Amino acid sequence: MLVKKMLRTAWQYKAQFISMILMVMLGVGMFVGFNMEWVSIEENMYSFFDDSHFADYRLADEKGFSEEDIEKVKKIDGVDAAARFITVNVDVKDKDGDSVALAVTTNPEVSSFVMISGEAYDENSEDGIWLSDRYAEKNDLKPGDNVAFIYRGLEIKGVVKGLIKAAEQMICVRDKTQLMPDFATHGYAYVSPKLYEKTLGFAYYPQINVISKLEKDVFSEKANEALGKTTVTLTKDDTIAYSQAEGEASEGKAMGSILPALFLLIGLLTMVTTMHRLTAKEKTQIGTLKALGFHDSKIAVHYTSFAFFVAVLGTALGIALGYAVAWAIMNPNGMMGTYLDLPEWKLVFPWFCGVAVALIVTILTLIGFLSVKQMLAGTAADTLRPYSPKKMKPMAIERTKLFHKLPFGARWNMRDIVRHKSRTAMSLIGIIGCTILILASLGMKDTMNSFLNLYYDNGLNYSSRIFLSEKATDAERRAVIDKYNGDFGGSVSVQLDEKTISLDIYDVTRDKIRIMDKNNDKIDISDDGAYVCMRLAEQFNLKAGDTFTVSPFGTDDVYKLKVAGIFRSVSENVVISDKYAEACNVPYTIDSVYTDVAKSDVEQSEVIKSVQSKQMIMDSFETFLSLMDMMIYLLVGGALALGIIVLYNLGAMSYTERYREMATLKVVGFRDKKIGRLLSGQNLALSIIGIIIGIPLGALTLSYMLKTLASEYEMKMAIGFGSYLVTAILTVGMSLLVSLMVAGKNKKIDMVEALKGQE
Amino acid sequence: MAIVEFKNVSRVYSSGDHELKALDGVDLTLDEGKFVVILGPSGAGKSTLLNLLGGLDSPTSGTITVCGKDISQLTKNELADYRAETVGFVFQFYNLIPTLTVHENVALVKEIASNPFSATKMLEEVGLADHAKNFPSELSGGEQQRVSIARALAKNPKILLCDEPTGALDSATGVLVLKLLLKMARDYGKTIVIVTHNQNIAKMADVVIHVKNGKVVSTENQANPASADDIDW
Repeated sequence: MLVKKMLRTAWQYKAQFISMILMVMLGVGMFVGFNMEWVSIEENMYSFFDDSHFADYRLADEKGFSEEDIEKVKKIDGVDAAARFITVNVDVKDKDGDSVALAVTTNPEVSSFVMISGEAYDENSEDGIWLSDRYAEKNDLKPGDNVAFIYRGLEIKGVVKGLIKAAEQMICVRDKTQLMPDFATHGYAYVSPKLYEKTLGFAYYPQINVISKLEKDVFSEKANEALGKTTVTLTKDDTIAYSQAEGEASEGKAMGSILPALFLLIGLLTMVTTMHRLTAKEKTQIGTLKALGFHDSKIAVHYTSFAFFVAVLGTALGIALGYAVAWAIMNPNGMMGTYLDLPEWKLVFPWFCGVAVALIVTILTLIGFLSVKQMLAGTAADTLRPYSPKKMKPMAIERTKLFHKLPFGARWNMRDIVRHKSRTAMSLIGIIGCTILILASLGMKDTMNSFLNLYYDNGLNYSSRIFLSEKATDAERRAVIDKYNGDFGGSVSVQLDEKTISLDIYDVTRDKIRIMDKNNDKIDISDDGAYVCMRLAEQFNLKAGDTFTVSPFGTDDVYKLKVAGIFRSVSENVVISDKYAEACNVPYTIDSVYTDVAKSDVEQSEVIKSVQSKQMIMDSFETFLSLMDMMIYLLVGGALALGIIVLYNLGAMSYTERYREMATLKVVGFRDKKIGRLLSGQNLALSIIGIIIGIPLGALTLSYMLKTLASEYEMKMAIGFGSYLVTAILTVGMSLLVSLMVAGKNKKIDMVEALKGQE
Repeated sequence: MAIVEFKNVSRVYSSGDHELKALDGVDLTLDEGKFVVILGPSGAGKSTLLNLLGGLDSPTSGTITVCGKDISQLTKNELADYRAETVGFVFQFYNLIPTLTVHENVALVKEIASNPFSATKMLEEVGLADHAKNFPSELSGGEQQRVSIARALAKNPKILLCDEPTGALDSATGVLVLKLLLKMARDYGKTIVIVTHNQNIAKMADVVIHVKNGKVVSTENQANPASADDIDW
């Protein structure tokens, strides 16, 4: 019988009931969705790394490693597996401009791949080539087809045996100048060692890849000891695939931490108020049940199960929403899919979300229980008396003259706000939360855009970047520089302590390359010091005047550099002028020329490998932006939906509570519109207060988010005036929309009915 | 002179296929400045009559003319204006706004009525000038009812409509409130209509209208109504 009553009660309060479920759903959905996104990326990545035997360490030596070397490394205690390895970009025969990253591993248990289709890997195959499935798809290749690659003038000819995905190439880009993979022009392929060595005529492997659980220092020492020479040891973090993917996950983590948690909090808080109000409204019924002889416990169970029902239904729907949100951000057909080449796109439900969901159900049920308990206190007669809000007392402000000059509506609303403090507080929290979410999301977009604009306007002061061929002689390089009147640059991979970073050398005489300080002001690159990016400066605690040493990758040479300044960078690097490089004897090769000549006007030649226009460089950022946009739209949309539900719910509550008052006003002769204005006046006032409080909090939230993103981007917070405006307009608009929805109910007030009962 | 005229007024409430005739072809004329009591058992239709007269509800058929104006076909907003200008209500349960002070509750009508009396003056009249700054919840029932009388009169309406105005009060307080109500109506020359099932109140009226089963059973003019002090409450 009581179950029947519960269902009917739910129906009676369907507006509140549905809004409670929706609030829980949105809160849980956003929280679960955004966290599921980065957890899933991480899970899928790590299992991909495991399945394709991603190496923990790479020993590098340009001279190459011999068969004896690999045997020595294998014997090291703590090394699980090792392979001689090479990866190098080669051209594809008969496909002008196409390239693939060619990889050879002598041990399929190290740095290999997962099979998608075709024959399994056979290291002794005479003609075996295993091709990236995406490259194959874009270029109409299938197992059984013949392909040929050109490497140092040699033709590596073979047959596609199978299609694969390799974790080493999870983010498949030609070099650091290409930001987004494009499988139509660049892919990767594994070639059997036999075919590789046969073509080359000898076995050249400049890397030994190792799977080992040893600490880096320990491993490095043991490797040097075993090989009898000092070699560079690279960790996973030094690889593009691993570090970029980690970055992607940490970006998701930054977006997933504070904002979705805010959703959850707002949803829960309003749910608490609603639950309390609902039981308060049911007070006489609780009294009746009590008077009839029901035990308190039975009544408590009845109402608690109501809360439990809402909690379970809300979280269940929320989890479903979470899956949808996570899938929207990360799926193989979306932006994430073009960036990451993962074999599996499993959605993984994070364990902490499970804990959170269990906690939410418990808390909500407990709140239901506590609310009833409060109503059950005292005798049946006490409970039978209807719940009455606190008696009115004059507010302090009423002693001022000003207060009495206020229009009656304002006074009415002010007192109403004071009388229903918790409802007001909840409305405010809803509005503030909404403002924070919208502003932080839009601000994130602004910050990214402004950073890129600044980079475009101030960082890249050239029209085209010409990449020089590795085969070009010094004289040829100089000729290109003179012909296009450009600044030149080169870069060297160096070790800064344990970290591999890029040391970028630029000729800055023509002002084509610029760097900015942390205030986004231009730095004049001097010839007597190095400029360190903000992240490295922070990590290695470097400031102007300090000195540090770098060692070019694969050598024992050490160069001492002085810090001339700290700058804002897109990548982790150190910048020096060509003069300073000469002064410090840092060897480098000029690989690029930066010029004002348009891309189309650069003549093709043997010396020039490729030309990138400034726009192409900027376009490559677009993908990252559109991923970010996706998250931002989801957050803003969710924030508005949450705001509307919260405010509507509170508005409906306020409407019920003021029903009699409004009926009285109606009887006295107030028109519906005037009453509507009274109500929306309160909403509007609360919205404005909420926006005023919410905007600085939103900015604070954003700066916190940027701090957690600091390892990814060196961005200065920038919130455009437009974003403030849009935030305010959206919030006020939402509040007015809700007012309108609630005001619509005014017309339905039955004056005669409303005035019958006693207050 | 007739201030109110009901012509063949019916009000039918229908829910599904079930119809309830709350008023059934009522003809009625009320003269200006009179004290009218509408008497009848509960469910007789007297509240419906009062609600129609007060512009809270519209008749299903028939016409109601108040001060020469047909109010039976008015729109919602026209009805609101009618309520604001022409009638003042006093309810059994006072219906004051809990978040407004006594003074504000009365001054409220300034927002809508075109020719209102001063709230301060009205409160003096009902003897509550000292309580102007109190909230309704700080007053006794009788005091609250006096506030609602002050509010009803402050609009300067043509007609005062009272639905069981003493219903929630003990009899001594009830008599005081009633006397005040009558005095104020007389002083300001208002027509006053009280709906009640209290026979004693009827003894004081100029006109007593008996309502039963949705019909006016009889209209009784009392040439010499009793004074409140002469009635054994």
